[in-house]
Amino acid sequence: MTADLAGLPLEGVRIIDLAQVFAGPACTRILADLGADVIRFESPNRLDVTRNLILTDNDGMDHPWHRASYFVVRNINKREVMLDLAKDAAREVLRKLVAGADVVVESFTPRVMANFGLDYEALRQIKPDLIMCSLSGYGQDGPMRDFGAYGMGLEPASGISSITGYAGGPPLRSGLSFTDPYSGFVGVGAILTALAYRRRTGKGQYIDLSEQEAAIPIMGAALMQYQMTGRAPERMGDRSDHAAPQGCYRCAGDDRWAVISCESDAEFERMARAIGHPGWPDDPRFATPPARRQHHDELDAMITAWTSQRDHYDVMRTLQAAHVKAAPVLDGKEILLDEQFRVRHHFDIVDQPLLGKRPVQRHLAAKFGRFEAAARRPAPLLGEHNEEVLREIGYSQGEIEKLKEDGVIADRPNLPVPPAVVAAALKLPYDRYLDPGLLQAIEPDYREQLGLSE
Amino acid sequence: MTERALEDLRVIDISQGIAGPYATKLLADAGADVLKVEPPGGDYTRRRGPFPGGVPDAEASGLYLHLNTSKRAITLDVSVAAGHDILRRLLARADVLVTSDKTSTLASWRLTFEDLRGEFPELVFAQVSPFGATGPYADYDGNSLTAMAMSTIMYGTGDPDREPLVTGGEPAEYIAGVHLWIGILAALENRALRGGGDHVDVSMSEAAAAADEYNAAMYAFQGAVRRRYYSRHIFGYPNDIMPVADGYVVVIAGANSWPSPLAPDTVSMMALLFEDPELDKNPAFASTAERIINWRNFDALVQPYLAAHSAQEIVMTAQALRLPFAFVPDAARLLADEHLAARRFFETVAQPGVGAISVPGAPFKMTETPLYAGPAPARGSANEEVFVRELACSPADLAALSEEGVV
Repeated sequence: MTADLAGLPLEGVRIIDLAQVFAGPACTRILADLGADVIRFESPNRLDVTRNLILTDNDGMDHPWHRASYFVVRNINKREVMLDLAKDAAREVLRKLVAGADVVVESFTPRVMANFGLDYEALRQIKPDLIMCSLSGYGQDGPMRDFGAYGMGLEPASGISSITGYAGGPPLRSGLSFTDPYSGFVGVGAILTALAYRRRTGKGQYIDLSEQEAAIPIMGAALMQYQMTGRAPERMGDRSDHAAPQGCYRCAGDDRWAVISCESDAEFERMARAIGHPGWPDDPRFATPPARRQHHDELDAMITAWTSQRDHYDVMRTLQAAHVKAAPVLDGKEILLDEQFRVRHHFDIVDQPLLGKRPVQRHLAAKFGRFEAAARRPAPLLGEHNEEVLREIGYSQGEIEKLKEDGVIADRPNLPVPPAVVAAALKLPYDRYLDPGLLQAIEPDYREQLGLSE
Repeated sequence: MTERALEDLRVIDISQGIAGPYATKLLADAGADVLKVEPPGGDYTRRRGPFPGGVPDAEASGLYLHLNTSKRAITLDVSVAAGHDILRRLLARADVLVTSDKTSTLASWRLTFEDLRGEFPELVFAQVSPFGATGPYADYDGNSLTAMAMSTIMYGTGDPDREPLVTGGEPAEYIAGVHLWIGILAALENRALRGGGDHVDVSMSEAAAAADEYNAAMYAFQGAVRRRYYSRHIFGYPNDIMPVADGYVVVIAGANSWPSPLAPDTVSMMALLFEDPELDKNPAFASTAERIINWRNFDALVQPYLAAHSAQEIVMTAQALRLPFAFVPDAARLLADEHLAARRFFETVAQPGVGAISVPGAPFKMTETPLYAGPAPARGSANEEVFVRELACSPADLAALSEEGVV
């Protein structure tokens, strides 16, 4: 990690980040990785929800908000000011910051910014060429604009769950609400598009991003199929209407799996040869894609007879050597140890205050020749940059002290109970999760296994 | 007509499939001149369908039409010398080259970043590949399925006693396409600031992995390894799709909706929804850990209510109580959805030869430079315009190239 910003594409761009939770912070994390000066805000009366999630070693101690791993992952490279926006003086601080900013990102439900007097029309009076992006569940207008929206609901709301599930089974959402970060990624491109336009014309603009809508293009083929054939696609597990065989196959070991996908006759022939069945392409049951689809169960049983004797990585290596698409299904530990992710620095090692060195995932999966969108600094502590930022916009030390006294700025949350009580409530009963199978393991020596022990 | 954000941008796109074309669609719908360079047989999505009435037609593949709005298209075999030379002439007047090929394939065509950087120092060379341009898997083949498998999302999707499930719709392709789009725009910002092109290298499996960091973070910060459990989150239950009288809804309580020890005399929002204040006193309902571990007991408590009410009734009542429940639409319902219609989300494109079709509109709304989708191009429909008018090939040269199968 270095604090060196030189050479990053968004050097000199200042972003006011009023986003909370998942989608918005994923968006501003990438903008920060690209060199923007992202100043995030938090309220002492209502911490970012992710300050409560996945506490390090499942123990919040007396400062749970500084042990929340999920917050760290999403907020690398940003600075933070803790402001009580219910107070006039806090909104005055924010307006001064906006006057010197290029972009505002917010993810409140519609109305909230207007209630604060901080909607786009108000803010552009302060900064005429301002770009502002609102991320919300369902957008800023329409009959569902005021709907409460969580990521767990938005992937289904985009239609994707209707085509996810076992054949004949109910719709299922992914094990991870991926439309949350996905809509944040889309927000990055939207903001970069607006910045390119502003560079050419000097004009700012407002961007209304609905997480539901951002994800609907993933339904493109399904939407076309319904219009062109009158039938919406059915759930088909891991199979495909254009690749056969395709599936997820059991491998040696406990709950280890590998995927295989043959998108052409030639690829199927290569697979058949690689797993010791060179005669398959001549068998009328398997000679053509429709025949293979019809006899998919038989084929799967025979492929499983081969995969189940092998490690899932061996399945990938053997089939990829024959130019057949295959990959192991990785869990949260395996991805950290995988050679390809490691060599390409998908995880930066971040020295996070109070938590030590931790691998933290990149958010932008693009590598560049001239710069790296990597972690340069850890995630901020609560209100860590209050004074630094206020001084930059001209507040004197006396004024800053007054704002502190008045509770306008803060570096601790206002809590009705002691922090240790909060920490106790946030502790998950992990020991009880092993038996039903929500967790497969808790490994106390994980830092050594990751090569991070000090 | 409104202004276009990227009207000064020129893109040469030799990518096929989903990820590359989706990235360039987002540029083209914002006004960039995207010239799609297809092999003489056409982008393979022209053969994938879906097709009107199920009848294969290279000019009517739904997936192709969705991904290639607002572009021009030529046919050109860039793997042979004559095609290669024409591509270089096109690159001389372009800002961006987009490819979805592995480096080994590009090397056989002498079209790697290293091959081109000397002649085109200002070019942004944007490459999306299954595992990235470098590293031990750089030459491996892949698609959305392999990327989702590597991402950890798939491991957590599905039932504990069955195989992991891939998410429908080939999402890793779209996630990678968005990362490629971001990478292109970032490299162009850098060029505007400092001059000079760059190599943008997007791995589809890294892009999918970037959409999940719970699983890696749980190990990196706790030593805990998740296991697939009906696609559930570990923080609470339910946050899941449940059956109702006429379909499904997503049951999500959100914050402060369960019984709270801080407010012992208040009926919880969830108990209000299920029309039974006594539920708050039942640990199977009120305790987070009990709901997660003994979820069948919780399901038994709420199933009578869910089975007796429609999705519409349940979601509207829940939302009125500030509970973030959601609908579970399929493609047909999305196209008929009143909220999306009020926001004019779907756009009607008059597609030559196919007629009026609804395509997903802009994934975000911009006040000054809204994106919009024009028709997708027929195969080689810009050949004459590009070869004869822009590159000044004679009609005889074009005929000869066509004869040789280059065009």
